[in-house]
Amino acid sequence: MMKMDAPGDAITRLVSRMFEAPALRRLTALQKEEQALQFFKQNGAQLQPVLASVGIGGAGRDTVAQLVREARSLADAMLEREISRAADECLQYIFVPALGTSRVPPAASREEIKQLCRRSATHPVARMALAGSLSAVLSDITDKYIPHIWERRKYTFMEVARVQRLTLKAEECADLLRLTLLVRPAAYLHVVADARQGPEAGYAPVQEATLDRALPGLRSQMAGTPPDAVRMGVRAALSFPGTPGLEAVSRLTAIFALRGRSLAPAMVVDRGADSPDKSWFNVARRNATWRGLDPRMLDELYSIAAENGW
Amino acid sequence: MKKIGDFFEALVVVVIIIALVHTFLEDFAVLAGWTVPARRWLIWAGLAIDLIFTVEFFTRLYFAIVRGRAFDYFFRERGWIDFIASIPLLLFSSLPSVLALLAGAGLVNGMGSFLNVLKVIKAVRIARILRLLRVVKLFRSIRYARSMLAQRHIATITTIGVTVLVAWVLVANFLGGLGILPGLDRPFLVSQADHARYLGEKGAGGAMVQGQARVLAAFDSTLLVARPAGGQTSWTRYDDAYYANHFLPGDYEYFTVNGVESFFDGRPLAQAAAREGVVFFVAILLSVLAYILLYSPRFALDITDPVHVMKRGMEESGYNLEVKIPDRRATEDVFELAGLYNRIFLPMKDRESAGQEQASALGIDDIRSFVEKQ
Repeated sequence: MMKMDAPGDAITRLVSRMFEAPALRRLTALQKEEQALQFFKQNGAQLQPVLASVGIGGAGRDTVAQLVREARSLADAMLEREISRAADECLQYIFVPALGTSRVPPAASREEIKQLCRRSATHPVARMALAGSLSAVLSDITDKYIPHIWERRKYTFMEVARVQRLTLKAEECADLLRLTLLVRPAAYLHVVADARQGPEAGYAPVQEATLDRALPGLRSQMAGTPPDAVRMGVRAALSFPGTPGLEAVSRLTAIFALRGRSLAPAMVVDRGADSPDKSWFNVARRNATWRGLDPRMLDELYSIAAENGW
Repeated sequence: MKKIGDFFEALVVVVIIIALVHTFLEDFAVLAGWTVPARRWLIWAGLAIDLIFTVEFFTRLYFAIVRGRAFDYFFRERGWIDFIASIPLLLFSSLPSVLALLAGAGLVNGMGSFLNVLKVIKAVRIARILRLLRVVKLFRSIRYARSMLAQRHIATITTIGVTVLVAWVLVANFLGGLGILPGLDRPFLVSQADHARYLGEKGAGGAMVQGQARVLAAFDSTLLVARPAGGQTSWTRYDDAYYANHFLPGDYEYFTVNGVESFFDGRPLAQAAAREGVVFFVAILLSVLAYILLYSPRFALDITDPVHVMKRGMEESGYNLEVKIPDRRATEDVFELAGLYNRIFLPMKDRESAGQEQASALGIDDIRSFVEKQ
């Protein structure tokens, strides 16, 4: 049984344990936070007697509020490490020459990306968007799929190479996608949180006009990062069928960001169930129009997942 | 109370395994030429096992009656197997065998009560096959699949398979005994019956019997004893000690013709029956193993796994894995349903759940365990 100590310490320990529970252990900080907050919201009433039995809290709502604060605080601490890891270890900037931009100092751009992510983390909607982006960047999803897309030379490759006219190698495209994924949450910095959308708010398409207002400011804050990459990143929040000329990289970014939201590394797949990626892409391609995603890209990613048993 | 019940169930499983080993050893002992004392021990063990199962059956029946579920227990929960594999075996197999032992069946010369028991022993060989039904009893204790449907289905199909096999062997043996379906033992028995008639054809006088027996013994090495009915032995191949050490009640063939009793060596027939017993035992064990190892994974793959995935998908808001549908099986009922689940339900669930709170991967029990660990 829990020893009777300061309630604050007990709450911190409890939330730490929750974050390390088998079901959450492999998730990113924001995914853990989302799970924990959902849990507190759904089980607040049941939680109170359990906590009271070990001397935590008294007035139920206050205790839950404390738990929520602690979960956010713990997630913030972990998030800082994840942002650093994403910017310092995952971004290589090997795509820069292909964008036709003059050579940029990666260190400055990395710092800008970190700042942008930190800023996104403080905004309720952008924070939700950051969850999927960070999860995708920290996973190997881009490195897994892009080489296959390049090898197949079908729709997605043609859209990037012929329509968008980007001469990128597979690894350069994967690197660019990691950067655009980290930029994408900034598109929601000017979006007002809508309670009806819940956690989906960070994945709902935004209006182009909203981006037009945000983009100049972003460019000035990210002078050290290729402007095309920033543009592609924030435009990843636009709806595909409704936005003529939406870049292929932005469309891919939108797909990977949404996929990142439900990525669960080392997920145990039930016997008789299809693989997580194949299942996800199959559902996503059926809801592509509704989600504002490119259905043909989803078809191709679904085929790759099916062929590789992902 | 539950712990006592679990202990009782575990004990029954152990006894079933022992019973199966015992059933195998009874036949194997004959084939391997085990000594009579060892085979006697097996007969006593058989009685103990049948007694235990009889007690088990009555206990289960008693509790079923107390709970008002006697019909369910007997017909739906395979209580009839508990019955067939206990009381008839006790009455018609192990108890007569033990009675024959107690009557001194090994000592051919000198006991009268043995004769009636011996006739029962012959009929009892058929009943021993029923012991193989205990394999089915063992099966219901195996928790190999998470699904109740799979457990019930595999148990049912195994019960049907084993019961049909055992029932047919029982009928075949019965028909064999009536001479309708003669076996390889038929010429052997006919020959001994002819020889018994030869012994009796000149009447029941002691000297006559002795003379006939001497002649017959020269060319029939299976003749053991000849005597006037109820009288002194006229001729014997071995002394009492030899019979006691080499023969059990089931090892004799017995005839009475014109008041002359004759005993023949039935061990070759007992060996043939034992060989059949081992073959049936292994066949039934193999078929049960095949159901468990080959059929149950197939059933899980085709039925319970897809159902489990769909059930989770419908119950858990965060569970969105599709059912894996093998190309060749897509037109089968369950996979057609799974196809609808994949194509229609999951995308609809994805749209419906957008904007709604998803269920957390954590449960209140997780928190209880964290709190208790602290």
